[in-house]
Formats: sequence, C-alpha cells, structure tokens
Amino acid sequence: MNDKNIMESHMGTTAIKISARDVKVYYGDNHAIKDVSIDIEDKTVTAFIGPSGCGKSTFLRCLNRMNDTIDICKVTGSIRIDDEDIYDRRVDPVQLRAKVGMVFQKPNPFPKSIYDNVAYGPRIHGLAQNKADLDDIVERALRRGAIWNEVKDRLQSPGTGLSGGQQQRLCIARAVATEPEVLLMDEPCSALDPIATAQVEELIDELRQSFSVVIVTHSMQQAARVSQKTAFFHLGNMVEYGETGQIFTTPQDPRTESYITGRIG
Amino acid sequence: MTDAIQKPEKKKSSLLQLDARTRTRNAAEKRFKAYGMIAIAFGLLMLSILVFNIVTRGAGAYQQTFVALEVELLAGKLDKKGNRDLDDIKKISTFGYTPLLSNALEAKIIELGIETDLKAKKMVGILSKSAAAQVRDYVLNNPNKIGETIGFEFLASSRVDGYLKGRVSRDSIGNDKNISPAQLDLVDALKAEGCLAKRFNMSFITGSDASDARPEAAGMGTSMIGSFFMMLVVLVLALPIGVAASIYLEEFAPKNWITDIIEVNISNLAAVPSIVFGILGLAVFINYMHLPNSAPLVGGLVLTLMTLPTIIISTRASLKAVPPSIRDAALGVGASKMQSVFHHVLPLAAPGILTGTIIGLAQALGETAPLLLIGMVGFIASNPPDSIATGLLSPNSAMPAQIYEWAKRADPAFYERAWGGIIILLVFLVTINTIAVILRRRFERRW
Repeated sequence: MNDKNIMESHMGTTAIKISARDVKVYYGDNHAIKDVSIDIEDKTVTAFIGPSGCGKSTFLRCLNRMNDTIDICKVTGSIRIDDEDIYDRRVDPVQLRAKVGMVFQKPNPFPKSIYDNVAYGPRIHGLAQNKADLDDIVERALRRGAIWNEVKDRLQSPGTGLSGGQQQRLCIARAVATEPEVLLMDEPCSALDPIATAQVEELIDELRQSFSVVIVTHSMQQAARVSQKTAFFHLGNMVEYGETGQIFTTPQDPRTESYITGRIG
Repeated sequence: MTDAIQKPEKKKSSLLQLDARTRTRNAAEKRFKAYGMIAIAFGLLMLSILVFNIVTRGAGAYQQTFVALEVELLAGKLDKKGNRDLDDIKKISTFGYTPLLSNALEAKIIELGIETDLKAKKMVGILSKSAAAQVRDYVLNNPNKIGETIGFEFLASSRVDGYLKGRVSRDSIGNDKNISPAQLDLVDALKAEGCLAKRFNMSFITGSDASDARPEAAGMGTSMIGSFFMMLVVLVLALPIGVAASIYLEEFAPKNWITDIIEVNISNLAAVPSIVFGILGLAVFINYMHLPNSAPLVGGLVLTLMTLPTIIISTRASLKAVPPSIRDAALGVGASKMQSVFHHVLPLAAPGILTGTIIGLAQALGETAPLLLIGMVGFIASNPPDSIATGLLSPNSAMPAQIYEWAKRADPAFYERAWGGIIILLVFLVTINTIAVILRRRFERRW
C-alpha cells in the first residue's frame, strides 16, 4: 500500500515509462517470476536488488524481450512501454530492442574495431545518412559513454583490446548510440574493479538526463549511490518498491530489512 | 580404557624423504609417461617406415629413360603426293612411322660404330610404343618440316627403363618376349655413348594414363584434372549447403524431437561407409537421372553427399563455440536474429567452418571406394578437357582411382607408377591440411 503512495507522489513530476502488471515468467516448469507489477519512471535510475536467483535479471530481460531467445521461457501478464504492450503480437522484438537498449553483466564488445562497435547499431537501424553523420553519432555516443577521450586516437583498434572498465563503457556507448529510450543494465559493474565501477556509476547518473535507466545490481551500496528508486526482489516476488532512501532507511517489509542488513541473501 | 584413548603415535615425517605412497604415485606417473612416449615413438616409427617406403618405391616414377635420336622425316613415306595436304598426311597411321624410327636407330648405331646382330625391326623394341605416335603428332603439327631431319627424345620401353633402374636384369628376362639380352647389350652400348639416359620425367605429372603395353608413357595429369573438377563440384555444393543447414539447425531451428532426430542422423551419415554413397550415386545419379558414366560431375555429387555431414558437424561445432554473449550483444542493440548470425556469429565461426570444409575436401580427395561404382576407376586415357563442361561431363578418373588402377595392373612398371602417384596425392593432402592449420592459426580469435 505504501509503495503506491510513493508512486503516486511521483506521478506529478515524472511520467511512467514502463508499466508492468502481473508479470509471470516460467522456465519450463520452474516458476521464476510470480506476479510482479511495477511502474518505472522516465528519466530515473531504478535499481533492482535481491539475492541471487531472485528473478531480478529475468524480469529485466523481459523488458526488452531478450527472454524470447530462450526457447523454454514463457512470459504472461502485460508490460507496457509508453502505453504499448510490448508482448503484443504485432510487436517485433527487434524494433523494441532498438528502443530499449541493454548493457550486459560481462563486457561483450564485438571483436571488431571500437568505431564499428558503436557504429553497428546506427548502421543497421539506418540512423546515419552518410559517413560524416555516422562519425558524429559515434563520437557523441562515445562521449556519452565517457570513453571518448581514452579512445579517440585509436578508433580503429579492436574493442576487445580495451581494459574491462573501458570495454563496459564502450558497451554502454554502443547501447546509447541507437538512441534508445530505456537503458537496461544487468549488473554492469560486477566484472569491474572499484575505479572502473566508479566511472560507470558516474556515467549512469549522467545518462539519467536522457533515459530511463533500469539497473540490476548485487551491490546495495551501488543501488544506494546511483538509483532514485529501488525494487527488492526475493524468490521471484517483488517484495518492496519505493524511493531508494526510504528502502534503505525505513524498509516496510521484514524481508527487505533482513536483506539490507545482511541477514539473508 | 587408557589404551583406547591413547593416540597412535604419529610418525615423524620428513619432507626430504619420500613416503611409500608418494613413491608408488610417482612410479605410476613415470610408467604412464613412458607408455605415452612408447606409443608416440611407435607411431613415428611407422610413419617414417611408410614415408621411406613410398619415397623409395615411388621416386623411380619421376625418372624415365629417354633415347635421343635424329629422325629423318622422309617425304616419300609421309607425303607421297608432295602437296603437304594435312588430310593426306593424316592417312599415314602410326604404323607407317615405325620404319622411320628403325632407320634412325640403325643410322645412329652405325654412326657410333656399335656392333650388334639385331635386325632393325628388333632394335626399335627398345623404344616405347609411343615413340611413333610422338613423331606423328609432331608431323601433324608441323607438316612443313617433312623432309628435314629432326632431333627427338623418345621414351625407352618400360623393360629398358626397368633395366636402368635395376628392376629388370638379364636373368629375369628369360621368358620375356618383349626384350632380349641382345637388346640389353645395345642399351648398354647406347648408354655408354650417352644417347640413352635417365632424366626427370615431367609427363608423369602432366600426362594421362596409357595402355597396358606402354607403362612408360602413363601419367597422373588427367586424373589430377578429374580430381580437380570433382573438388570443384564438392566445394560449390557442399560448402553452401552444409553451412546453410548448420546455421539453420544451430541458430534458428526449434529444439524439439524432429531436430534431435536430424542431428542423430547427420552424425550417423558421417559414419556411413563411403561405398554406400557410391552405390547411392550409381542408383540415383546414373541410373535414375541418367548423368554420364565416369563423369567427374557424378563423382563430385557423390563426394558431396559424403562430405556434407563432415562439414555440417564441424560448422555446428564452431557456431556453438561462439560465445552467447556476442549474440546477446547483437540482439541487445536491436539486430535481428539473421543480422546477429551473419554479422557477428558467422565471421567468428568462419575459421572453424573453413577448417572443417578443407578437411572434408581432403577426405573427399583421397576417396576411392565410391568412384569404383560410378565407373571412375579403370583405363580412362582421356585427353585434358578443353572446357569446364567437358571437364565435368567427359569420362575421367581421379588421383586415388588412378593409383588403384595402376596398382592392380600386372606389369611391375605400373606398380612403380602407383607409388609415384601416391607421392603426388600425399603432397596434395599435406598441402591442404597445412593450409587448414595456417588458416585456423591466423583467424583464430581469443576472448
């Protein structure tokens, strides 16, 4: 009940970007997500926290239908982005994914040049009219990925040759190059050292200006640092959702409290 | 009671002294390493025996005995009308050229002052039966040379060649009607004068098969062309079909019992004996579709069937080896399934696909059994084809089939050529496999 009040208090200031209702996910016989309903706001960083296997990554992958690539995965309920049901029969997941970008846990640059990594999305979506246009898009994306200064002199060297943190920022740049409206991040810092993590977190905060960012994280400190809203998942349920400050200081649910104080999870 | 509580006294152990358990473990490891080394040494020994045998027995095929003679192209015999009309000249058969050869040989013997009781007709026996044809071909190509004396290098007959290579001796020719001791005396004399000698024989590599009577003229060239056209068919058909099938099965097909059955069947097909593919080719391509017998096209089709499972299996393995994170990355920026496969997965799998294809091709290149059934094994002395269509459709042999054919002929001179052919085939296979290794090394990526 309380969640709803918080949500409503925000409705006035920010629009709802993603609205999920009664989402259930099954992997074969395994019921991975049970009845999750959540409203994710635009131009906000929303963090999903919870112990391993609680379904937070699964739910994240529902938001751009990456779960479609898993044969045995079945999703029910409704997820609406800008009031359009993304699981509607008419929706092509490819178009959806151009709108909802994704950054993965492990940095996964294509084994191509840095330039081609970033230019790939705009190319296949026809965002650039000519080479100069594409150069602009690539530069802008790399700047937004906070990696431009480090790679501007070696755009043609392979993306796989960068350090882990640089690779992850390259992947973020690649994701923002297609001008998505939502950016999903699945534990983007779990493979990075603290310095690279700090850089990526700073970047996430900047990206909030333009996108709705949803981030899955194992680190509660990270959630507290970067997010405005936090949702706590446990055993396939979304237990609690609210302002980040409120979740970490005055959690309503005993399970949330146990988790953030380190007694479960 | 006190006994029960008493701990067994722990032996004080020294790190400098090996205990019994460690000693047995170390001994076992040593034994295992020794077995491994023995196995490898045995393999290397066998390999070197094999290579030594092939080279020593086959090297002879690359050398052939030649006789240098000046032949006078008598106008009176070759062009009786004297008008140099090609049609008239063609009427003189190979048989009509034999007197020219015996004249030339007789003249040479008189010039060198060699004494022999042999009649001119018998003397020619030391020359290959292809010598007359060689002169005739020359005359037909250069009719204006009639009347002149031209220097030729003729192949010596296989017995003479064998005599120089030590395969034939005076003792061994007792019942041989093809050669007599007197002829060998003549050979010795000619050799001493330097107009009969062994030298490198290019036409073994470039020439075509020859009839039983003149093994000295047989070569691998035409069968190499046959193999080339078969490989062309295999490459053009098996690579695209195999790669497309694997991409579909690996990336697009739903995982259900039908694809499971297909997968099991492909694995089984890879183990089907090749002769079965041969009989299938005979039934389908020749008897049902009425494609020509002995044609490299049919051979290529049969070998395609045989190579497909190899290509599909290796392609699927290399597609599987591409990390899923690359697929996720492509899908994550909004690439379609097909874009993610063709832009990212396939280029990364390409070295593996290439290696698999090349190894499949190498297998097909060395395959003999299916060719038996579609008529590509036998005496096929065709000329080199003049176009791709004739290359595909006119009867031809293939390298392994040619080797098999020579190995089963009676004359020991052919036996030597079979070993020589094996050398060529092995050179091809080693080259192909080396290319596969180099490509894999060069394009391999690490994550």
